[in-house]
Amino acid sequence: MSDLSGAMALLQLGDSFFPSGAASFSWGLETLRAEGHLARAGDVEAFLAGQIRLRWATFDRPVVLASHRAHGDLEVVAAVDREADAATLAREAREGGRRIGAALLRVHAGLGTPGAASYRDRVASGHAPGQLAAVQGLAGFGCGLSESATCALSAYGVGVAIVSAALRVGLLGHLDGQRILSRCRPLAVEVAAGPPAGIESLHAYTPMAEIAMMRHEVGTGRLFAN
Amino acid sequence: MNEITPGFPAVAAASAPRSAARVGVGGPVGSGKTALLEQLIPRFTARGTNLAVITNDIATKEDAERVRRTSLLAPERVLAVETGACPHSAIREDPTLNMQSADELDRTFPGLELILIESGGDNLASSFSLDLVDFWMFVIDVAGGDDIPRKRGLGVLSCDLLVINKTDLAPYVRSDLDRMLREANEVRGGRPVLTTNCHTGEGVDAVMEHIAREVLFDR
Ligand SMILES: Nc1nc2c(ncn2[C@@H]2O[C@H](COP(=O)(O)OP(=O)(O)OP(=O)(O)O)[C@@H](O)[C@H]2O)c(=O)[nH]1
Ligand SMILES: [Mg+2]
Repeated sequence: MSDLSGAMALLQLGDSFFPSGAASFSWGLETLRAEGHLARAGDVEAFLAGQIRLRWATFDRPVVLASHRAHGDLEVVAAVDREADAATLAREAREGGRRIGAALLRVHAGLGTPGAASYRDRVASGHAPGQLAAVQGLAGFGCGLSESATCALSAYGVGVAIVSAALRVGLLGHLDGQRILSRCRPLAVEVAAGPPAGIESLHAYTPMAEIAMMRHEVGTGRLFAN
Repeated sequence: MNEITPGFPAVAAASAPRSAARVGVGGPVGSGKTALLEQLIPRFTARGTNLAVITNDIATKEDAERVRRTSLLAPERVLAVETGACPHSAIREDPTLNMQSADELDRTFPGLELILIESGGDNLASSFSLDLVDFWMFVIDVAGGDDIPRKRGLGVLSCDLLVINKTDLAPYVRSDLDRMLREANEVRGGRPVLTTNCHTGEGVDAVMEHIAREVLFDR
């Protein structure tokens, strides 16, 4: 791919206009907002930084990379996918990852991205959970994106999910949102330096978000699915 | 759920054969979308139509619970999809989660013929993606003002069937129903417009028959 074509592909896949159902998920933020744990823009920035440092770096990134490095071998993708699923404790986090993963697979299958339709069938028949990060790696490879471009897509997706949910629940304005996304960039670069953790040692430490998602299951506010 | 599933049953990943017709019900907040569903469900049931419902509540599961409570549908036939405060996007730009839920219903209920999808209350510019539905209705009501049709909202103009609800309220809110109908027909170039009173059920048979004719064919 030429630079221009690669950049345009990345913009298309990373755009929130690209359909995947992601706008329906807040990853705990809705509950944290409702219960007063997040009250202003600075809190959102700290929350996002925690998600990038303590979850994306040590969990999502290794999954995305391992799935991309499978080079389209769906058995390998499925093994990574199952690990990611098994290691996600909160039900709404696990189901959220599956639902967006399935939605993304459906779209990529419709677009003819290599590997997507076959993997979608595996997920449909219950042979793989279809977690978002595993699907991102598979689709990134299938679309001809580099490893680092695919990681960028994944990290940016975490940022947009949190910031846009925060904007919609009134925690920040449009400029604050963009400032936070800008500052999230060097952080992602910093935590992405060095080799990723092995799939056998995936880990995350974001208890506040996880407990919030557990509480969300029975909460009354449900703008979001988690 | 799928019997051949060894371990990961939760998500219908979209390879389900598409069987049930999908009908969207959109329109502004409070126009009577859920009330229309409540009137339609028993009529379709009496007709022997195998049906299910998806709601897109804004911030709760209120409408889904209400349909479960007031209709005779089994609760598993009513799914709620959260839209993250973007009801318009969930039926148009990014309908993927609604499609996923519809696939799940198709998979869970073999022989399903009709899925009614209620959008979260939105504005006059909302419309359904044809990737999501085969047919869609837009529900407005006389109490929203009799000038609504001539404001030419995208929903009013482009839906397959425009329903003007709450006809009983016209005299109380100084709405001229005849004029509303006339202008609705004008802006829609003669495409179908029906009127209903969802408290009494007046006019709902015609809506049901229209859907049966246009969407279910001989089913
Ligand atoms: N008088 C009268 N009231 C109606 C009629 N249809 C609905 N209503 C009332 O209008 C109110 C809103 O009805 P809903 O069915 O909840 O409207 P909706 O479009 O589903 O609302 P949202 O989902 O919140 O956008 C309720 O109080 C209904 O009882 C009607 O034909 N006549
Ligand atoms: Mg309703």
